[in-house]
Amino acid sequence: MFEFKLPDLGEGIHEGEILKWYVAVGDTIAEDESLVDIETDKAAVTIPSPKGGTVVSLGGNVGDTVDVGMVITTIDDGDNASSAATPAAAQTRKAPAPEVEATPASAADPASTPRSETVKTPASAVTDPASTPHSASPLRVGPVPAAPATRRKAREMGLDLHMVPGSGPAGRVSLEDLERFAAGGGTATDAEEDLSASAGAISPGETGGIPFLEIEALPDFRRYGAIETKPVRSIRRKVAKKMTTSMILVPHVALMEEVDVTQLETFRRREKARREGQPGGHLSLLSFVTKAVTECLKAFPEFNASLDHFKGEIVYKTYYNIGIAADTPKGLMVPVIRGTDSKSILQIAADIERLGSAARDGKIAVADLQGGSFTITNVGPIAGKQLIPTINHPEVAILGMGRADEQAVVRDGDIVIRTILPVTLTFDHRIVDGADAARFMKKLVMLLSEPLNWLTEL
Amino acid sequence: MPLKNAHKFTVPHLQVLSEKGTLDKKLDPGLSETQLLRLYRAMTLAREADQRMLRLQRQGRMGTFSPSTGQEAAACGPMLALSERDWLVPAFRELGAMLMRGVPLHRILLFWGGWEEGNVFPGVERTLPIAVIVASQIPHAAGVAYSLKYRGEKDAAVVCYFGDGATSEGDFHEGMNFAAVWKAPVVFICQNNHWAISTPQEKQTGSKTFAQKAIAYGIPGIQVDGNDPLAMYKATRDALDRANNGEGPTMIEALTYRVSMHTTADDPSKYRDTAEVEVWKSRDPLIRLRNLLNERGLWGEEKEAALLAEIKGEIDAEVRIYEHGIEARSDIAFDHVFASPGVELEEQRAAFLESRGGGSTNA
Ligand SMILES: Cc1ncc(C[n+]2csc(CCOP(=O)(O)OP(=O)(O)O)c2C)c(N)n1
Ligand SMILES: [Mg+2]
Repeated sequence: MFEFKLPDLGEGIHEGEILKWYVAVGDTIAEDESLVDIETDKAAVTIPSPKGGTVVSLGGNVGDTVDVGMVITTIDDGDNASSAATPAAAQTRKAPAPEVEATPASAADPASTPRSETVKTPASAVTDPASTPHSASPLRVGPVPAAPATRRKAREMGLDLHMVPGSGPAGRVSLEDLERFAAGGGTATDAEEDLSASAGAISPGETGGIPFLEIEALPDFRRYGAIETKPVRSIRRKVAKKMTTSMILVPHVALMEEVDVTQLETFRRREKARREGQPGGHLSLLSFVTKAVTECLKAFPEFNASLDHFKGEIVYKTYYNIGIAADTPKGLMVPVIRGTDSKSILQIAADIERLGSAARDGKIAVADLQGGSFTITNVGPIAGKQLIPTINHPEVAILGMGRADEQAVVRDGDIVIRTILPVTLTFDHRIVDGADAARFMKKLVMLLSEPLNWLTEL
Repeated sequence: MPLKNAHKFTVPHLQVLSEKGTLDKKLDPGLSETQLLRLYRAMTLAREADQRMLRLQRQGRMGTFSPSTGQEAAACGPMLALSERDWLVPAFRELGAMLMRGVPLHRILLFWGGWEEGNVFPGVERTLPIAVIVASQIPHAAGVAYSLKYRGEKDAAVVCYFGDGATSEGDFHEGMNFAAVWKAPVVFICQNNHWAISTPQEKQTGSKTFAQKAIAYGIPGIQVDGNDPLAMYKATRDALDRANNGEGPTMIEALTYRVSMHTTADDPSKYRDTAEVEVWKSRDPLIRLRNLLNERGLWGEEKEAALLAEIKGEIDAEVRIYEHGIEARSDIAFDHVFASPGVELEEQRAAFLESRGGGSTNA
């Protein structure tokens, strides 16, 4: 029996998503024949089978995330000396899939034949998962300093390094720390795993420690009609994760305004006609708003910040990187326009164009999706008068743009036709207050409604 | 005063065997049947080994490596011109060259598998290990060549490989300049495979060719169809002759293409057009040479099948040595701290071994 563990397919890859199985349980496979397609942060690759034989079990379904080191296939290669594999502290994190019970890891006997759809739990994870407090936060976040030997030992012991107090410099965890921690009754890995469970596989009835929160079991939709199901994967899953986190973590408040952009639009149309064909020459309204927002961020730095809730401090950024929500075939992506304070509106327009199409073509570099300090989302071109966007955590605020339309408005006692842009500023009330937001908005309105005054400030 | 020409230069382009299979009779280096067959075998072995390594990496049996599929002519053609007296100084994408040199495949597997032993080639002389640090090998090659001259080894020269990206490094300048000034017997082969990870040639240099960079150092530069094994052989042969005549270095730019990913940790579809890749795939150097062999009645389907089977057996055997043939100790790191480890280090070793349950042998 040969247990094939997911290798590190890139350099420093920790997990991958199953895209496709080439075999089913019971199939025979020859060495080097295609076994499975796995997508990692770096690339999607086909893994050829390292052994020939009969497929005994598969370690996950399409859409599941599997950790490096986890057994992804067991192959009966006629060799009875079963590779006495220590169950790695690695797990499949299931994508909610049809016909699969979303049960959390059971402390299954690791010696028993691995069932293809069971989440394996390390031998030492004896804590009853139901009683594991999901609100229990690990001691620390981010990478924990420890030697490779210590990491390996921790894996073998089924310990999560984040839980172990480190006695070395910068909290470095040593072998002794592990032993001390284990002797004192450690917390098993599954607490952390469940916390980070990216697919959101939870049991009905869980509360996450929040009073009155009860996540009810879903009805059997098939009782009401035909259904289809599709696993939540890739970008969809990332969006789901980020939005849920932001909504639960951040007290959102939204401030709405209608901006008279008549003057700006007249100017913009004229410039656009003049610059047609050059990069950024289409000069979208969004590029002007991006520049105006940058000016507001300069004036109100707390909107260009992040709350470090681990350290209890506010991080002010002195760079201005504006994320622009882009609608792509794969779902929502947010390309980041860097250094908008030192770019002209024309350059910003060109960047939005270039990064937007790279995102839509799936060719955008990871670096261009990182490092944003504020986000703008513009649903206007599709439809929608107003929207209340969710903050792109850990940023402090996000601006939503609705559809700019001609409206009848009252000016100096007369009803006149003006072009009105609805905007919404959603902000993190932990860091800024309503009055701060109103001041931010006031400046934004001033900049966008009286662009000629703004010129002299640039 | 009217402007005068301070210096004129040209950058020749060499092709011997065209993509369509036409052979330029005047330029044909006249390789013997045995040589042609040896070359074809070497290129096929390089291709098959490369593909096998990709599978080994995907299976977690080997680490990251830099595939060389598509660059076999540029790597192997020159090697036919080398004698045992000459030195080989590779970069990291010359699998074919190293195998032709006699480096056992398992040593290369060991290297990419993270084993120090992969830097040692028992029985193979005058061959430096793989150089991953881009361009670092160029000054090394210049130094080795200078030492040959210094010692009066007139029958020997150095062949040094590097990539297009390497030409942007300071080491390239230092090595080229030194070798040129001292007329060191070295052949610089720049494998212009059009990409340095995700940086295309246009972003790498303002020069139209890489070969012309040689002019600035006062040495000849020649651009060669790098997918034409005969041209690669001929250019290297000529350059070695120059070197042996005491005329100093030559730079060869081999125009070829990295058909696979930069390394196994890279996804080229994120930054380049598949259409471009398809064009280059159709210029496969193996097919070009095979067509010539077919035409001369030296090859056929049966011979091809037999060769592939033979090569597969060879690769299998090397993989077995790689996976089972080397003893591994978990405390090996302690060996290389001091020439003679002190008491303290030995105590640490003992403590370490004890913490691992006593034994030291461990894969
Ligand atoms: C000094 C140094 N800088 C950066 C790297 C990372 N690196 C590895 S390969 C590579 C690109 C090399 O391109 P090229 O010289 O064209 O060779 P190719 O990979 O195309 O064969 C880079 C930047 C390195 N290994 N060494
Ligand atoms: Mg290159």
